[in-house]
Amino acid sequence: MKDIFSTSRKLSFVASHLRRVFELWGYQEVFLPALTRYRENIRKGIKIVHSNDIYAVNPDPTSQILESVRDTKRLKLYYIKEVLNGSPRGIWQAGIEFIGGKEMCMGTEIILVAIASLEAIGIRDFRIDIGSKEIWNRTIGKYSSYKKEIFRALILRNFEIIESLPIDDKKKKEMWNLFNFRGRKFRDPKLNGIVEMVKDDRVFIDLGTVRPLPYYTDIIFEIYSPYIGTPIGGGGEYEFNGKSAFGFAFNLNVLISLLDDVVEKGVRNISGVNVV
Amino acid sequence: MISFVLPKGRLLDKSLKFLREIGISFEHPKNRELIIKNGSYELLLAKAFDVPVYVEHGMDMGIVGRDVIEEHNFEGTIPLKLPFGKCRLSLAIPREKDVEIDKMEGYRIATKYPRITERFFESHGIEVETIKLHGSIELAPKVGIADAIVDIVDTGKTLRENGLKEIEKIMDISAVLLVNRISQKVKFEKLNVLIFRMREVIKNGY
Repeated sequence: MKDIFSTSRKLSFVASHLRRVFELWGYQEVFLPALTRYRENIRKGIKIVHSNDIYAVNPDPTSQILESVRDTKRLKLYYIKEVLNGSPRGIWQAGIEFIGGKEMCMGTEIILVAIASLEAIGIRDFRIDIGSKEIWNRTIGKYSSYKKEIFRALILRNFEIIESLPIDDKKKKEMWNLFNFRGRKFRDPKLNGIVEMVKDDRVFIDLGTVRPLPYYTDIIFEIYSPYIGTPIGGGGEYEFNGKSAFGFAFNLNVLISLLDDVVEKGVRNISGVNVV
Repeated sequence: MISFVLPKGRLLDKSLKFLREIGISFEHPKNRELIIKNGSYELLLAKAFDVPVYVEHGMDMGIVGRDVIEEHNFEGTIPLKLPFGKCRLSLAIPREKDVEIDKMEGYRIATKYPRITERFFESHGIEVETIKLHGSIELAPKVGIADAIVDIVDTGKTLRENGLKEIEKIMDISAVLLVNRISQKVKFEKLNVLIFRMREVIKNGY
């Protein structure tokens, strides 16, 4: 049987540090219910039926928040929650959402909070790759009927898919250059602006970056460590009632696997007083 | 260090030969040796169905058949289709039977690939029961535990020898290159050099 206490110990260590960082940056904790009535925009979770209504159990928190909050001018929220994705095995997630600020400032702040969070729990060796869906949309231009195939090529990093499409060679070359672009400066004011304001050597522009959820509108980013083969987290820009918004989430199950030494050093061993 | 994982079965020799073409030589594994090193390259030999699992969890690159990837729902990247390991995944029924796919509702299908099989029949609006086997699939209709099979077909000889006939090709298969999503970022230059070299070798008619 899985030892729930050793996992809890690590999750508690991470959660307490993340809460502190998120609150210092002005984010307010939101307690999301386990069940939410299922609608088309609710992502992930497990669907169940109760009294002829369909509910999603522990769905993707961002989609749950977007379906649950009333219109608001500006909102800064965070959550720490177990998320299900079609199977009973959950993933613990901690994330923040910033709705209704200035685009560039929100993008910069979100990435700075991600950096501050990782540093607070003692993880300094990580990378953040930022990409842009809009740059791809602009490049695809008149070939928008092949958008699905082109984004599939990006997800698989398989340029053969693009090569097989009836797109002119000049355009293919442009896409090949985007496909393989990884650096710190790109001819896009928004992307460049965010990277310049964040000003951290661990942040790169990588136009091959993709995120699995469909609600992202432009900027997307992925957080990862050279020591583990799955991303620690990621996020991006989306829209809420016509307002720009940014958010990210850490996968705490992946994060705690990087933590063994940090937790041992960070937790003081006070065993209590033994009165004989 | 760049790590590769290759399947132990029919693709091993062809994969080693292809890697040699791009300048990476591993000695053919002796006896039961499963990890082989060559300078800054490391090779792990695994069961075909474990190759995507190793790559998802941190091995840098792998080679495996497309059938395995489609069945596994692989979460890494697949930058190249490789020009070897070509065969097909097909639906086959006993030779004496004459039935169309649309009439297979409720059929029992023996296969190594239950996911692909279910997806295939779903696309025809048919519900079937799949029986997962790990080998000798073609025996299942013979002993009466299945009505049909979904399996890899190369020349069709095994099917014929077991009294089966191929009635529909589900997909073409070839070997594919897998890359761990994070390795692709962390070792961006090094892995791109290898992938570009492979592209060149393929383009030059390998």
